[in-house]
Amino acid sequence: MENQAHSSQKPLKKGWFISLIDVVLSYYSYLISQPFRSGLVYFLAGLIPSLALGWLIFPALLYSKQPQPLQFNHAIHTHPQIGIEGKTEEERCLQCHGFREDGTFTGIPNLATCMKCHDDPESTLGETPEEEKFNEEYVALGKEVPWLLYHRQPDCVYFSHIAHVKMGKQECRTCHGDHGRSEKLPLHQRNRISTYSRNIWGYNIAGYVRNPWERMKMDNCADCHTKTGHEENNACFVCHK
Amino acid sequence: MDFSVKKLTDLVAFNRRNFIKLLIGGAVGINATPLPWKLMDDVAIWTQNWPWVPVPARGAFNHSETICTLCPGGCGITVRKVDGRPVKIEGRADYPVNPGGICPLGSGGLQLLYTESLRFTGPMKRVGARGTGDFVAISWDEAMQTLADRLAELKRNGKSEALAAIDGNRPHSSMSLLIRKFMDAMGSSMYARMPSLEDTYATVNRLMFGIDAPMAYDLEHADLILSFGCGLIEGWGAPGRMSNAWSLWRSEPLKGKVKIIQVESRASNTASKADQWIAAKPGTEAALALGIAHVMLKDGLYDSNFVANHTFGFTDWTSPDGKSHRGFKNIALRDYSPDVVSKTTGVDAGQILSLARAFARARAPIALCGKGKGSLNGSVFECLAVQSLNALTGNINKPGGVLVHQDVPLQARYSAEAKGPGEPLTAAGLGEALTADKISVETLLLFAANPAHTLPDGGGFRKALKKIPLIISFSPFRDESSLMADLILPDHTYLEKMDDVVWPVGLQYPFYGLTQPVLKPLYDTRATGDVLIQLAEIMGGRVTESLPWKNYEELLKERALNLFEAEGGLTSHDSSRPAWEPSAYRKVLKSDCTSPEELWKKLKAGGFWYRPFQRFGWHEELFKTASGKFEFCTDKLEKAGADLAKTLENDRDYPVVMAPYELINLASSWAPSPPYLYKTLFDSQIRGKDCFAEINPQTAGEYKLKQGDYVIIESSAGKVKALVNIFAGAMPGVVYLAFGFGHTGYSDFHLNKGVNPNSIVAGPRDFLTGMSAWWRTPVRLSKTKA
Amino acid sequence: MKQEEGKHKYGMVIDLDKCIGCGTCMVACASENNVSVRTDESDKERSIAWMQLFKITNGKPFPQTEVSYFPRPCMHCHNNTPCVSVCPASATHMDYHTGIVSQIYTRCIGCRYCQAACPYHARYFNWYDGYAFIQPFPKGLERQLSPEISVRMRGVVEKCSFCHHRLMRARTRAYAEGRRELEEHEYITACAEACPTQAITFGDLNNPKHKVARLSKSVYAFRLLEKLGTEPKVYYLSTRNWVRRMADNYRPDQLEPVGAVKT
Repeated sequence: MENQAHSSQKPLKKGWFISLIDVVLSYYSYLISQPFRSGLVYFLAGLIPSLALGWLIFPALLYSKQPQPLQFNHAIHTHPQIGIEGKTEEERCLQCHGFREDGTFTGIPNLATCMKCHDDPESTLGETPEEEKFNEEYVALGKEVPWLLYHRQPDCVYFSHIAHVKMGKQECRTCHGDHGRSEKLPLHQRNRISTYSRNIWGYNIAGYVRNPWERMKMDNCADCHTKTGHEENNACFVCHK
Repeated sequence: MDFSVKKLTDLVAFNRRNFIKLLIGGAVGINATPLPWKLMDDVAIWTQNWPWVPVPARGAFNHSETICTLCPGGCGITVRKVDGRPVKIEGRADYPVNPGGICPLGSGGLQLLYTESLRFTGPMKRVGARGTGDFVAISWDEAMQTLADRLAELKRNGKSEALAAIDGNRPHSSMSLLIRKFMDAMGSSMYARMPSLEDTYATVNRLMFGIDAPMAYDLEHADLILSFGCGLIEGWGAPGRMSNAWSLWRSEPLKGKVKIIQVESRASNTASKADQWIAAKPGTEAALALGIAHVMLKDGLYDSNFVANHTFGFTDWTSPDGKSHRGFKNIALRDYSPDVVSKTTGVDAGQILSLARAFARARAPIALCGKGKGSLNGSVFECLAVQSLNALTGNINKPGGVLVHQDVPLQARYSAEAKGPGEPLTAAGLGEALTADKISVETLLLFAANPAHTLPDGGGFRKALKKIPLIISFSPFRDESSLMADLILPDHTYLEKMDDVVWPVGLQYPFYGLTQPVLKPLYDTRATGDVLIQLAEIMGGRVTESLPWKNYEELLKERALNLFEAEGGLTSHDSSRPAWEPSAYRKVLKSDCTSPEELWKKLKAGGFWYRPFQRFGWHEELFKTASGKFEFCTDKLEKAGADLAKTLENDRDYPVVMAPYELINLASSWAPSPPYLYKTLFDSQIRGKDCFAEINPQTAGEYKLKQGDYVIIESSAGKVKALVNIFAGAMPGVVYLAFGFGHTGYSDFHLNKGVNPNSIVAGPRDFLTGMSAWWRTPVRLSKTKA
Repeated sequence: MKQEEGKHKYGMVIDLDKCIGCGTCMVACASENNVSVRTDESDKERSIAWMQLFKITNGKPFPQTEVSYFPRPCMHCHNNTPCVSVCPASATHMDYHTGIVSQIYTRCIGCRYCQAACPYHARYFNWYDGYAFIQPFPKGLERQLSPEISVRMRGVVEKCSFCHHRLMRARTRAYAEGRRELEEHEYITACAEACPTQAITFGDLNNPKHKVARLSKSVYAFRLLEKLGTEPKVYYLSTRNWVRRMADNYRPDQLEPVGAVKT
């Protein structure tokens, strides 16, 4: 603060940076002391609502929310004791979300897959209202459940599950998180503009990622390929069709 | 504080400056949120996901095996499906006829299934004027009842002969049998067939071999193939088999060892890709064949042993009634010297000599008769002459020759129970009789036929249709003839129903295939076989008795089960052992089915039965003619020769010849072209609404025609307008128009594209059958503007 | 700029002596790859054909005239790929691990620079939505669409991909069987598969066991516009000199006939 003390006497010697601070500080005190006249209030009146708009209102408006047609408890099904058989969690996932003979991924299981186990009198359905609904509206009518897909990539994207899970030894949770341990299905959120599921961009509106499963944009795929030494898989046609 | 308004205004000081500050605050704030970037990203993605661009549903891939019936070729196809939805048709490798390959028509077949505007989506009746395509949907019950009432009324009034049917199904198919039986039961003899090369072959085989079996050529073992106009690689025979054979001839070890010679007036693909092209004037092929015979006889280059022992009519003979007849030798030597033939055909005399010598000296030469794809009748004269060449070389029922078979051992072949021998009525004949008021037809049934467009009769049938008060079409497609119909009872498309394929044209072994529906019918259509059987049931009495089957499948099964009784035969194919391999021919292979039910089960999975075996030789027992020998049919040859001379006389009014030609990549028969086929056409074949006529530069010069000019081609039957395509490969004095254009039916993909050469076909008829000699229409040309 | 040599270099050899000009390759390609179809396909500036047949004639008068055909897919130029080097959006790329030149429709901005740059006219612009639920697009045809290839919207460029999805299909099957390497027959393009005369052979040019590697070294083998130095990966075979001359690699006096059957 030495310079400041001498500033009035030796204006020419003062550095440009200090002068800038000088100006800013004096302007700041002016702003504070006379918030209206200085226009601070107006500035903030523009700033604060727009921040609120961008961080709070926009994300809420951007996504429409749909409940799944049925509730489904993944946790029970993947429970090592009471759920599906399988040594590892991956094995248990693959029982329903598995590979066909030609290596393609079945995705969401169809009714027949459900009934493979639930036709068994020991694992009948109908104890909960949701199970009853499933029995009445789908099983009885032979109708497939119109599940909403959280992780469906757009049509231009080709993704090979078998390359990642079987050959790349990736865990399911690397991309799907703890979905397999969830007891309830979250609301499906669809982007009103792009029509994609919210899981593709990620729940954080800023796209900030703590865990790999929180975001599924192209860069995330490419980063992982690079990090794991599979840079050749960043060629366009590997993931685009 | 004093809260007067004035003071407040002073305090707030909302002036221009502060307003800008408000905006800046907002701008800073927004940019400090992800909103603009996220919005930009989403909008960019939005532009990639227009809601009107369909996203194909994903699912499990599987496939169904069946047989393509779009042409008589009988190629095996496999239909790739996604969750049961067909998405692609591919060739089938585990199949004897076409090992893996496919043709453009077959490859695009799904578009015939899916293009809604191409199809009748359910039973309909006409409400608008004929030809406008104005129909309303009715129920199947109503449609069936209307038809049954009409038929009963005809029967009651003793007007059975006023019921006519036109059948475009293949001659040996179960559908044809059923329709014929139905017509018989109704007491009508007005069963007419659409023309096809197969029928011409059958006529010739009956005359020369005395048998009623399809034509069979062992092309894969021949070393010289002399084709008189067959589009060997343009859809003739079984296209899958022919292209595969072509590939064999052009690969090691056969490369360079098989000579293909094409006789044709135009540099077609076959002519260009052949080893030699002989440009004979259209319609003179028979004379060229006899010219070749002349040289062979003169030089003694023929199989005298075969000719002496197994032919009849080679030398002059006297019939029991005391009349003397000229023999083949006499006719060929006297009337067809190279100089005379050269004048008739336009082929150089020296070329005829060398051609004859090459043909006669080849180890296994085959002469093929036919025209283009063979979807229209061939010239009987040509076939008789060409088959005579094969008799001269003695290459009949030998490896690499013309094979003589008995028919596929199916039960209930119609011919066995037919009222009399001979040819059924032709569709064109029916049309002519109608026009001339020789017959009166009150109800016409159309089966897989589009005579209003595909008959080469100068548009005669189209006019004749107007005389028929009730036309009923069973076509699944909105073809020109169906648009003239009053009642539509649409069939399934070929991918939605069961049907059979009996012996693809020209194949050297008996073959039977059963098609399999690859998906549930998309629309409210019904298999015509079932409809006919159901109709017979409603009619009662003799009609019901004649068609005793519960449904069409039962009829198919009844016929097919006889294959089990037949000697040998296979229901599976090992692609490493081609069906034409000599090893497969040596002995009768044991049947690979242990029971008739097993055979049926295998057939029902889109399967096939074939017997890759031939008893070579046996010439003593082979021919079932009156003489027990191959007959040269000299009387007919002689008369046809005289006729030909007349047809070739120059017409002063119509100095140019119009010769239509067929394209492998454009359907010209009843089944429409899949829209994808138009992609494969060049803009020197079709441009916008106009198709092109190919004209030699010299001829074009005479008429002052330049590339892209409009030309009017006029015959005695009518005129058409086309664009000029100057093509050096066109014969001078001949103008070429492609079949398959000029549709006024089907869908937007087909409408208003070019002109239909059939509509101007006119001139002398083909000898013997009286069918259209469509390959040669005298026309005149004139230049026109737009 | 010579590209780094990758493991695979997929390529094609087309035997023009076997080619019968039937157009099956075009139809098989179109139906495999969800290529659009318009009511007027004769408008060649608007119609799309990844595999395009070109007709050539020997220029001789009747009756020595001959026609032949060049089936033309994308050449997948290996060197200085002309379309890749001009793309401002990085929507196209030559992957040296497979040798395949890709085209990402959703990334394409429709500037058509690549179309201008391609010496083979192998690139096509979508002037209209290829398939659409809106009129006047013919109803029902969208049912033939395969989910293995995305449907293109208007305003983007598309071209032959050597049926890249078939490579992925083959890999996926191999993975299911626990393999990483593919057999020669496992990955072939739709056109090669459909060709009724087996004129089109497809495989890995880098793998000496593959048929294409041998065929591409035939004395009758040539490429189109070889003189440009773009190293196309599509080879042609013809024993006819006049056909080879059409490849436009020679000055009139330059072509050296190779024991040809026909000139």
